[in-house]
Amino acid sequence: MRKQALTGWLLLAPSLLLLGGLVVFPILYNAWLSLFDKHSFLPAQAFVGLKNYRYFAGDEEFWNSVYYGTVYSGATIVLQLAVGVPAALLLNEMFRGRDFLRGVVLFPYLIPTIVAVILWKWLLNDSYGLVNHLLLAAGVVSAPVAWLGKDFIMWSLIVTSVWQFFPFVVVTYLARLQTIPPELYEAARVDGAGAWRRFVHVTLPQTRSVLFVIVLLRSIWMFTKFDTVWLMAGEGGVSRYIRTLPVYAYARSFTYLQAGMGAALAVIMFVMLIVATAAYFRVFRREEALS
Amino acid sequence: MTRRPGLYVGGVTLLTLGAFPLFWMLSTALKRSDEIFATPPRLVPAHPTLENFWRLLTETNFVVFFKNSVLVSAATVALTLTVSALGAYALTRYRFCGRDTVAGLILLTYMFAPIMIIIPFYILVKQLGIVNTRLALVLSYTTFCLPFCLWLLRSFFESIPLELEEAALVDGANRRRAVWHVVLPLALPGLIAAAIFTFILAWNDFLFALVLITSDEIKTLPVGVNDLFNATIVDWGMIMAAGVMITAPAVMFFVAVQRHLVQGWGAGGVKG
Repeated sequence: MRKQALTGWLLLAPSLLLLGGLVVFPILYNAWLSLFDKHSFLPAQAFVGLKNYRYFAGDEEFWNSVYYGTVYSGATIVLQLAVGVPAALLLNEMFRGRDFLRGVVLFPYLIPTIVAVILWKWLLNDSYGLVNHLLLAAGVVSAPVAWLGKDFIMWSLIVTSVWQFFPFVVVTYLARLQTIPPELYEAARVDGAGAWRRFVHVTLPQTRSVLFVIVLLRSIWMFTKFDTVWLMAGEGGVSRYIRTLPVYAYARSFTYLQAGMGAALAVIMFVMLIVATAAYFRVFRREEALS
Repeated sequence: MTRRPGLYVGGVTLLTLGAFPLFWMLSTALKRSDEIFATPPRLVPAHPTLENFWRLLTETNFVVFFKNSVLVSAATVALTLTVSALGAYALTRYRFCGRDTVAGLILLTYMFAPIMIIIPFYILVKQLGIVNTRLALVLSYTTFCLPFCLWLLRSFFESIPLELEEAALVDGANRRRAVWHVVLPLALPGLIAAAIFTFILAWNDFLFALVLITSDEIKTLPVGVNDLFNATIVDWGMIMAAGVMITAPAVMFFVAVQRHLVQGWGAGGVKG
């Protein structure tokens, strides 16, 4: 028995060592670091207590980043569901070429972020982009639109992100759809329910819990999304208009080289996520109790 | 059958949405520069050329970035599969107190986005003296893939009956041989799924590569291509060629192993 336990721990040791050293320790160190005024590359540091947090309370840039982050994650989640759920319903039907389409739909999710971003920057290019060309040809706009300028950069970012991440919704929702017993639909059909009523009375109740998980995961991931936003912003002046919290945290640490400030932003991000997740669970559970 | 047309309209819309941007990338990559900026734009290049690819391969560091990405991704897949298979085996085949608590805590670490710990992570890697090395990338990716892979393999190992292993042991095989010849082959679909997940994460990552790597010789593709993109006036043909070259391995890897994934499910001796 003793030996069994020892072997077990021994086999787990590499995993625990990596996770402990490279995730758990940095989390704790990050919290500690947020109480210091520290340069990102130099060893000099001074204990400042909660000064970094107090600074952000009155920092306009911080509140802007919270605002942009909320707009970005809110809009992308709604749109991912609006595209992903109908797509999953479609791919759950029988038709020729379905399996091929199931594979193709995954592509945007598989490609590197850098590719998704340069691709959409090309499509949305103001002078030579296909989007502007099509809109001009169709007479929707009379002059090329600067999609990557400050007025539309948030929309461009949202479109790019929805394109990149909606396949996750499709795959996850489709997996659950496939486990719904067909008898439920047959019973509804016998009762004379049309397609819409079958969706509302059979599909939706059956997929509530998976939607709960999808919204939870995607919210966390969109709120902490760094690469798509940072790459979309580029080095130019428009970056101010889509500077979400993760990008702001990165800028504090690696542009302004204020590691303590960056660490404090990471802690704030974490607390926001915990609070939002707790609230989400509570609201959802109350709804469960009602229904 | 009246719904058929609707289905096909939906299908074509979805196909356009998923594949057209990628088709446009390929089409642009194959165009001559005068065609790239032509109005109206042509869907299919009139004079397809590999000129953009040639320039990418000969005039930039692309080949170096590509090699680095292959090395780092392959090493990450190998290390992650080894470490998580050992861990998952321990979590399913050995009894010790705190086992399920440990499994729960491991899953919890999955909730932390890299951006939330990148600063202390950077400082730690610097202290260890491995900043600006491929090893730093491999260790980061392995760590961030571990929780998912451990849980995935754990569920696969759980579905393999102990009796099969015991039978092998009775037949005179030692534990290591029993694992190698009985457990791992039966868990193959799980191993493949874990490999896909890990490869794609390592191949696509931007943040760690951006923060941990500074010299051109060990940069991986995403950061390298971003540098090319920011370098001067954007050479769209060449950038799209780079996009095609980065996308192809990820998609090909997925398509190649996905078939095995499905076959594995069907051919697996054990139903879980």
